[in-house]
Amino acid sequence: MEATRPLFIPVILGTARMGRMSLHAARLLTSEVSKRAGVETELIDIARLPLPTDDAGPAIKDPGFSARMDRADALIIVSPEYNHGYSGLLKHVLDSCLQEYIHKAVGIAGVSAGPFGGVRVVQNVLPVMRELGLVTIFWDVNFSTVQKVFDEKGTLLDQAFLPRIDKFLKELIWMAKTLRQGREQISID
Amino acid sequence: MAVTKIQSKMICPRCKVEMNHHSDKLVYGSGPQEAGPDDPPLDGTIAEFHACPKCGYGASRCA
Repeated sequence: MEATRPLFIPVILGTARMGRMSLHAARLLTSEVSKRAGVETELIDIARLPLPTDDAGPAIKDPGFSARMDRADALIIVSPEYNHGYSGLLKHVLDSCLQEYIHKAVGIAGVSAGPFGGVRVVQNVLPVMRELGLVTIFWDVNFSTVQKVFDEKGTLLDQAFLPRIDKFLKELIWMAKTLRQGREQISID
Repeated sequence: MAVTKIQSKMICPRCKVEMNHHSDKLVYGSGPQEAGPDDPPLDGTIAEFHACPKCGYGASRCA
């Protein structure tokens, strides 16, 4: 194994809704990941992926998204709540890949205008992560009353989120390293 | 007598080294054309997942 190969942990912004405050949360997480030594990241906006909607699943796989998922060691999914669930578009995008996800780590950030910070969308997305072969961590980031967490330009107003994100990323990076070792070195046979 | 199916190691197309078989997973078909014969009660096929120990490249094939 190449010891110097950096981890790649992209952040997926899971909403195409106009005026989405989740964009600020996704940018903050991308920025915090980029500060970690030995970790590369990228913000993937599902609104900008050229996936058709007249079919679904691997048949509509986008080569660019697939390549990034293949390269990834872990994912961060940022999602607001859509009636307690996640967006249909996020599911559509995630379902376009499968082998790219197997035995990789995932952390979830929920976003809401109310006080619960997306806890319901996090719970709803967990069984989907499991079926996709992703390994969830036990830390989430919950951006509650998000309009008070960021100003309209995306500036972080509540610094208490930084140590929370630190805990989340430490666990995610540990899991990403561990699973990379397992994928590449430990046989199931 | 039970018959054991032995498959050769997958080779990384980039590094030309043997890949590590790290997972078997039931993959559900999306329609009748993808109906799974491997385990009819579970309605899917079993896929093997492999990763390159050198570059991390991932690949899969039917088990």
